[in-house]
Amino acid sequence: MQLTESQQAVLGLPLNASVFLEGPAGSGKTTAAVAQLMQWLEQGTPGETILLLVPQRTLAAPYESALRSPQAVAGGLVQALTVGGLAQRMVDLFWPLAAAQAGFAHPHDPPTFLTLETAQYYMAHCLRPLLDDGLFDSVSITRNRLYSQLLDNLNKAAVVGFPISEIGQRLKSAWVGEPGQLRVYDDVQTAVDLFRRFCLEHNFLDFSLQIEVFYRYLWPLKACRSHLFSTYRRLIYDNVEEDTPIAHDLIREWLPQFDSALLIYDWDGGYRRFLGADPESGYTLKELCESSIQIETSLVAAPQMQSLTRRLSKSLSARRVQVEEDEQNNSLAFEAVEFDLHHFFPQMLDWVCERIEHLVHGEGCPAGEIVVLAPFLSDALRFSLMERLATLNIPTRSHRPSRSLREEPAVQCLLTLAMLAHPEWGFLPTKFDVAYAFMQAFEGMDLVRAQLLAEIVYRRKDGWPVLSSFEAIRPEVQERITFLIGERYERLRRWLAQSAERNDELDHFFSRLFGEVLSQPGFGFHTSLDAGRAAAGLVESARKFRWVVSSMFESDGAALGKEYLLMVQDGLIAAQYLPAWETPAREAVLLAPAYTFLMSNQPVEVQFWLDIGSRAWSERLSQPLTHPYVLSRAWPPGRPWTDMDEQAYEEESLYRIVVGLLRRCRRKIYLGLSEYNEQGYEQRGRLLTVFQRALQSVQTSERRSG
Amino acid sequence: MRYRGGKMGISAVPGSGKTWTLSLLAAEIVSSGKLAEDQEVLVVTLVNSAVDHFYQRVSSFLGERDLIPYLGFRVRTLHSLAHDIVRQRPSLVGLDDNFQIVDEREANAILLEAAQSWLRSHPDELDVYLDAGLNEASLNRVRRDDLPPLVRDIALSFMRYAKDQRLTPERLRQRLDALPMRLPLAEMGFEIYQDYQRALAYRGAVDFDDLIRLALQALETDAAYLERLRYQWPFILEDEAQDSSRLQEEILQLLVGKDGNWVRVGDSNQAIYETFTTADPRFLRNFMLREDVTPRELPNSGRSTLSIIALANELVKWTQEAHPVEAVRDALQAPPYIEPTPPDDPQPNPDDNPDQIHLVRRRFTPAEEIQVVADSLQGWLPNHPDCTVAVLTPRNQRGFELVDELRRRNLPYEDGLLRSSTSTRLSAGVISDVFAYLADPNSPRKLAQVYRAWRREESKNGISRKKVERVMELLRKIERLEDYLWPTPERDWLAELEAAGVDEQILSSLEEFRRLMRRWQNAALLPVDQMALALAQDLFNEPVELALAHKLAALLRQASQMHPSWRLPEMSEELDVIARNERRFIGFSRDDTGFDPERYKGVVVVSTMHRAKGLEWDRVYLMSVNDYDFPSAQEGDTYFAEKWFLRDHLNLEAETLAQLKAALELDEYRWYEEGRASQDARLDYARERLRLLYVGITRARRELVITWNTGRDGDRRPALPLVVLQDLWEVLKNKSEQA
Repeated sequence: MQLTESQQAVLGLPLNASVFLEGPAGSGKTTAAVAQLMQWLEQGTPGETILLLVPQRTLAAPYESALRSPQAVAGGLVQALTVGGLAQRMVDLFWPLAAAQAGFAHPHDPPTFLTLETAQYYMAHCLRPLLDDGLFDSVSITRNRLYSQLLDNLNKAAVVGFPISEIGQRLKSAWVGEPGQLRVYDDVQTAVDLFRRFCLEHNFLDFSLQIEVFYRYLWPLKACRSHLFSTYRRLIYDNVEEDTPIAHDLIREWLPQFDSALLIYDWDGGYRRFLGADPESGYTLKELCESSIQIETSLVAAPQMQSLTRRLSKSLSARRVQVEEDEQNNSLAFEAVEFDLHHFFPQMLDWVCERIEHLVHGEGCPAGEIVVLAPFLSDALRFSLMERLATLNIPTRSHRPSRSLREEPAVQCLLTLAMLAHPEWGFLPTKFDVAYAFMQAFEGMDLVRAQLLAEIVYRRKDGWPVLSSFEAIRPEVQERITFLIGERYERLRRWLAQSAERNDELDHFFSRLFGEVLSQPGFGFHTSLDAGRAAAGLVESARKFRWVVSSMFESDGAALGKEYLLMVQDGLIAAQYLPAWETPAREAVLLAPAYTFLMSNQPVEVQFWLDIGSRAWSERLSQPLTHPYVLSRAWPPGRPWTDMDEQAYEEESLYRIVVGLLRRCRRKIYLGLSEYNEQGYEQRGRLLTVFQRALQSVQTSERRSG
Repeated sequence: MRYRGGKMGISAVPGSGKTWTLSLLAAEIVSSGKLAEDQEVLVVTLVNSAVDHFYQRVSSFLGERDLIPYLGFRVRTLHSLAHDIVRQRPSLVGLDDNFQIVDEREANAILLEAAQSWLRSHPDELDVYLDAGLNEASLNRVRRDDLPPLVRDIALSFMRYAKDQRLTPERLRQRLDALPMRLPLAEMGFEIYQDYQRALAYRGAVDFDDLIRLALQALETDAAYLERLRYQWPFILEDEAQDSSRLQEEILQLLVGKDGNWVRVGDSNQAIYETFTTADPRFLRNFMLREDVTPRELPNSGRSTLSIIALANELVKWTQEAHPVEAVRDALQAPPYIEPTPPDDPQPNPDDNPDQIHLVRRRFTPAEEIQVVADSLQGWLPNHPDCTVAVLTPRNQRGFELVDELRRRNLPYEDGLLRSSTSTRLSAGVISDVFAYLADPNSPRKLAQVYRAWRREESKNGISRKKVERVMELLRKIERLEDYLWPTPERDWLAELEAAGVDEQILSSLEEFRRLMRRWQNAALLPVDQMALALAQDLFNEPVELALAHKLAALLRQASQMHPSWRLPEMSEELDVIARNERRFIGFSRDDTGFDPERYKGVVVVSTMHRAKGLEWDRVYLMSVNDYDFPSAQEGDTYFAEKWFLRDHLNLEAETLAQLKAALELDEYRWYEEGRASQDARLDYARERLRLLYVGITRARRELVITWNTGRDGDRRPALPLVVLQDLWEVLKNKSEQA
């Protein structure tokens, strides 16, 4: 790969140096770091001695793809880690050294690491009686969000580095609203204390405890340090600005021990603030490095794009100041934007698809070089776009973090079959669920026959679901359903009956059902990759649940399976996200929330921005039970969070997101504008106003010159 | 238009061009350069349908001035304004980011459940209020059928009032506990209120009343936030201010601040929302009397003929001076009386034609009244193809009865104002038909209905309708639907039809339909919102319909989150209530976003008098003007709110509210006294009904017909004001004839 001069400068540094590389997005920092990594490997550094640290796994993608490339030198495995991942490994390894000191009730028993969903499960378990007694009565919030915000508080305390006993007080002291609401934060404190005691009692480690145990109890130990120091000799730490203060503290202390280190810092990042990212604390690592390099030139954006970035960042950063008019700059800037105003949302979608088709089929723009972004990507929006583009023969892929596993039809099918196989659990699926399960389970099964079959064979007897045999059906109806399907149905029915005798764990049940029946020829999952992926996700979720929860459950696996299904019904688990399910080829239009796209850190040719009237572009996620800013390290305890802070935050975050997107766009931005949004509301978010003002000034200057 | 700043209150008469004036004023302010880049004029109006109207008006004024039409102002109803305020800072008031708003129907369902559960746990509590003369059978029926909805309605107004007073269940409990004696109705209200709020909180939801209360709370708790909003909206223009509630006034007063700019336009004679809400025209009247407010009048109206103006003014005058119940005389206010426009006005009054004022004295049964009005329309329509006409009724049900008759007679009508607009209902109905079939995929009858929904355009004209019917007939006769939709080589219904020599056009239509049905059957596996969208893409072409489908999808999504056990039949039912008109759903068609009577020349618009507010027609019929729908607090009048099964003509809703008020009252001499509230409620109702009649009369431009009927039991009399107007009209008419 051809590197620029400033990128070359990175490679030219002495082998035993620590370097701080900074600059805006799109200036080629990561490319330089990848080159550095490859150079180290070529020079014979064993891969396993290189620590590739990133705040989030997706950010390691450029390194991983370089390491997978044919040019890569074989020489040990370089592993990308997050501080959370590192913490978990260390706790696992050195558990006996810290368990008692950290307050675990059974230091001689092994630890259990909780996933987000199992942590939520136990949070629910702890709180249920208190909720019934009126805890959190004064907030309107669904249970799911309640639990996740409480866990968020614990995580914030861990990654910022303050005791969890301060959570309630910190939140209270920043509150300016109605005093009656303060009670909520007492409730928060009660809940987190209770949960922490519960975890200590059962050797459970949620994310917050993993970090705390590692940083407070293991990291100071000589044994742990010498293990880490001897294992890792070189460090590449990318996106320092997206990581947490505890991560920065750790690296601050560790940095002198590395033979060489390259820290990469993106100027306008900080998109993960709500997860505890702290760019300011990250920047302080610069002074510990022996040298620093700045790269400022964008390698990504065309001149008109850069001009647009300047124009917009000006109006975004000086809201109430009149923007100086530079007419030439204006017209150049707006060459990089194309927009069209529509009355209704679907009309706007049609326009977007029509432009994409023109780009792909007319101008030869690779589909993989196009992204469609919105502040939130609702299922309906994703679906509408995918459908429309599919009819135009344009492949799409979607990164939508909040797509839940349990909404996958294939997962629904597996859950229904699990209920039928375990009648003693007392679940009574509706006849629709059974018909839909049949429709998916058998290849060539249509809704008419599936419903017919379900109507006949599915009964509720004494409160238990029962499937009767195909043979018992009248011959003329058998013929309607077809004997081929009848045979498959019988195979499935017999398998379900036998499985009841085997009494498998639920994850084994799913896994065998998939492997022994559904993925076989003649069955519905045989040719469906998507269904296979969804099944794998469900198996994993159920397995992790079992690992974690079985220690609490005295009884056998069956009851545990029932508990799992109940939790799914409550939306507590399997509401988790499907693992990244990119289509293997990147030759597809990406549909993603703006934030997710930013965190994938891959520039593209063309971006479509939808729903720009939405306030969500600038607004902070409102969470009544937690507060990422108040719980951040920079926030002075006792200072109230006022509306001015809220405003300042919104301005800053809009600036960051807009500039971040523009810097990751080479050529052009398309704005999808519709008077009414998806739900039919007229919107007036700040981003829309910024564009409108800018456009009005272009109009005015054109009128003046024309 | 000389307004430059400060507070102004404007009394406007019907037809004086309030909306036009306010829109022009908004445009003037936007174009005057008084606003900074990030400031807006805030226009607040009463109902959704007025919002679009304002947008169009102000935008066109701005367009004329070469400005970007949608910039510099914002039009909101009180609810959408409250939503804006809360949405920006939900955590200020204890809400999560993705809080949901339950609509009236959902709220009603939750409330009914709470009411029923209260009745179950207190089976005899209300017995003391029941008529002692009820026999066992009636008693059982009342308990089973009448009490649950009554308790729900009582609880609704109880909660509304409590929320208006910003009483949480918790605070209310404290008040009730501090009382020297137990107030049983207030206790009932409290328990249901508490139950209901818990149910909402569990769902992470709020209702419309909460939204307003919380908006005010947000503004009061965060001074800096309030300051920012004051900066953002330096001018507030409020339309229909007579229907302002206490909380609305408080919110706007806060947003305006001490020295801010606030123009309130209204007509206290048109305040007709009191009974349903906590609105009160007294707020506007008191505002006009404030020292810091400049009062103005808009007395001129070019809408109606002189005769109609005279009638309306006479109604006001009689009410003020001669209403037999003195307490009701403040129901209608003057000055200003309606004055015709001056001679050179661009909007002159229509030529007077006293012969087209019919205040019908004859007594009709309800059925006869329908026939008489339909006869009259049947005679009138052919001669007036370019005129507009409306029939206005006091209640929805009466409107539907007339619609049935018009349909029977094949007379053109539009009933969108009674509920959701016709096109919105049609679109919801189409999707609902498909849902209903997919829930029952072996039903040939439902499949045939889907076919008709798909071919709905063709069903409109005679020849192609026959074809559609022919195909439907074929579909209905299929014995095994799989032979058509998913045939095997051995059994293929379509191939059999072909062999039987069925028309090729029909065959190809059936083939296309099969292709669609297969796709839709597969879509049944998708989450419900995606399924609705997938169907919509095949079913609709019009942008309005597609936009509506998106909105319906969002509604279904919310429904499925609230009711995870719901499947297609329930979802289909959910759409059906929109299609059947039982739930008003704001769509996007022109009728939803602003009804324009001018688009219905030669068509009978049927509406309630309430929904007709702000609109005008050449000819207007007012029906059912008897002493049941328009009581005057006279001996012998009966009241809708006084249920037959309750003793002593008690209005239990009013009594419950009175107990709530007593609980909040600090003055011990104003303690609750049974029956007084029921009497007061009669007066309030009589006042409101006078204003409703006034609104009805002033909808007419040229011709007016008022009829009455003898009611279900045949003993109703004409409403007192109607009798008075009939007499006055004879005198006036004689005078003008003599002159």
